[in-house]
Amino acid sequence: MLKYAFRRILGMIPMLFLTSIVVFSLAKLMPGDSLSGEIDPRNTDPKYIADMREKLGYNDPLPQQYFHWIGNFVQGDFGKSTRFKIPAAEVIGERIPNTLLLGLSSILITYILAFLMGSYSGRKPYTLGDNIIGGLNYLGLSIPSFVAGVFAIFLFSFTLGWFPSNGSIDIGVTEGTLDYWLSRLHHVFLPAVVLGLLSTASYTQFLRNDIIENSRKDFVRTARAKGTPERKIYNVHILRNSMIPLITFLGFDLVAIISGAIITETIFTYPGLGQLFLDSVGTRDYPVLMTLTMLFSFLTLIGNLVADVFYGIVDPRIRLE
Amino acid sequence: MEIVTEKDPKIFRALPKKSLSPWAMARKKFKKNKLAMASLFFLIAVAILSFLAPYITTADVSRINIGEMSLEPSSKHWLGTDRAGRDVFTRLLYGGRISLLVGISCTVFVILLGTLIGSISGYFGGAVDSLLMRFTDFILNFPFLVFVIVLNAILFGKINGLWVLIGTISILSWGGIARIVRSKILAEKENEYITAAISIGCSPAKIIMKHLIPNILSTIIVQATITFATMIVAETGLSFLGFGVPQEIPSWGNMLNSANEPDVLQFKLWIWVPPALIITITILSINFIGEGLKDAFNPKSRR
Repeated sequence: MLKYAFRRILGMIPMLFLTSIVVFSLAKLMPGDSLSGEIDPRNTDPKYIADMREKLGYNDPLPQQYFHWIGNFVQGDFGKSTRFKIPAAEVIGERIPNTLLLGLSSILITYILAFLMGSYSGRKPYTLGDNIIGGLNYLGLSIPSFVAGVFAIFLFSFTLGWFPSNGSIDIGVTEGTLDYWLSRLHHVFLPAVVLGLLSTASYTQFLRNDIIENSRKDFVRTARAKGTPERKIYNVHILRNSMIPLITFLGFDLVAIISGAIITETIFTYPGLGQLFLDSVGTRDYPVLMTLTMLFSFLTLIGNLVADVFYGIVDPRIRLE
Repeated sequence: MEIVTEKDPKIFRALPKKSLSPWAMARKKFKKNKLAMASLFFLIAVAILSFLAPYITTADVSRINIGEMSLEPSSKHWLGTDRAGRDVFTRLLYGGRISLLVGISCTVFVILLGTLIGSISGYFGGAVDSLLMRFTDFILNFPFLVFVIVLNAILFGKINGLWVLIGTISILSWGGIARIVRSKILAEKENEYITAAISIGCSPAKIIMKHLIPNILSTIIVQATITFATMIVAETGLSFLGFGVPQEIPSWGNMLNSANEPDVLQFKLWIWVPPALIITITILSINFIGEGLKDAFNPKSRR
């Protein structure tokens, strides 16, 4: 197993290298460059700008520029944000906790909801409750997250007033207090539900079908014959078997959250990485844009890796390839 | 499961008749699926209405009319007007045109590219296979939304806006189809009729086109349906964010974009609810059709 995981991790390195070339080329293809972040904005003398361009290496051949950039990149120097005039790492670091909180709460909500609905539906298939859950699932799979987000804001923020419609924190709450954390959770709840909608629906469906399938297997019949209480059969015997495949979805969750965060954070004006990414595209803040694109690509790679490795644990046949 | 017993008089009587071809069987099964049929009719109706938009409404779709800003629905404007005084119903029809066009074009490109790469990879195997599959993995490892947005930002203004979007979405989405087609081809090419075709000297292109593809066509059709729904979501989502179809062209996503303004979202429901509903119902019906097709092509399902 370790060998398999190790092989997969080694396979990631060329992928990362290729991705970095693509990201670099894309950034070079974009109009303009990130000069304005590095030079003194008050000095607009053309000679000074030309000198600075030379000094910063913008006239070097492209491969040299690439190795300069990637060399700095792996050492943790991501360049200076042209918009905020501070290192890109700081700009991004500031936003990471927000997106992390959003992603974690989304996964938590997804798993809790999917577990409750899926195990109910699986236990009582083809009943009214199962059909209602099935209908909701269809809706969850079909309604795009931005439509769901817009409706959620309209209903829960504006009409009912239960949740705030934007931001990540109330104004005037001191950091570290209980109120602070409650306020943050209050703000993150709605975007997290919207972000997890699609996975909630598919997990519920998966869990339901798996429970129904497992409940027809021989070990369940044996358990029934022994006189095991019905509740114990479902909670211990079946659920334990049905939960395992669900864990393997965790890697795909990571991938889904990256794309989802861009949309969800924009709708809820939640100050996270997704919103920062769109802002940096809009304002042509290349250092931040490139770093974020690399970060997202890296996380997608990790997500796919985690999915593969978990699959390898659950289904040993995959390891031999 | 499907043992014919003489006790069942209906089947017994039907035996001498010529049995249906797999396609006819699928068609029959699909027609019995009420939900899928209703969805199909809805989708056709939306498509016809959208593509006949110039003959249905006379209102000018792009003209900004300051005198008629944000009007509520009335007999003159069935769904009211938006913040620039344009008729929402007219925009909905024209928007459907763009959204469906982008969806269909992307689906066609994705299916063609995915099938091409998947079938070559699966048929030839060996070095070709591992090279193409590493490339597919590489494409699949890009976070889709991130790269579509960046590519759009680069190409914007250089080529006609709509084709930039269609191109970028297609280039980044064929990976999944290629994998599925490859695995299907891998299984299918083990059959004896393929060995026979090779032995009588068929060219690889002919074997793939004439023998392999027709046999995995049902999978491709089901995948195309799912892809169609995904592509519509991608277009509307990107346009909603302001990185999709150029703002001056109406699309369902662009129309929903106005819901980003709190004032519109809270008080001017007629501007954003129609596109939101039509997107959701369209996706829902495509998904129902996809489920129906999957069922219809599955010889084991008896519904």
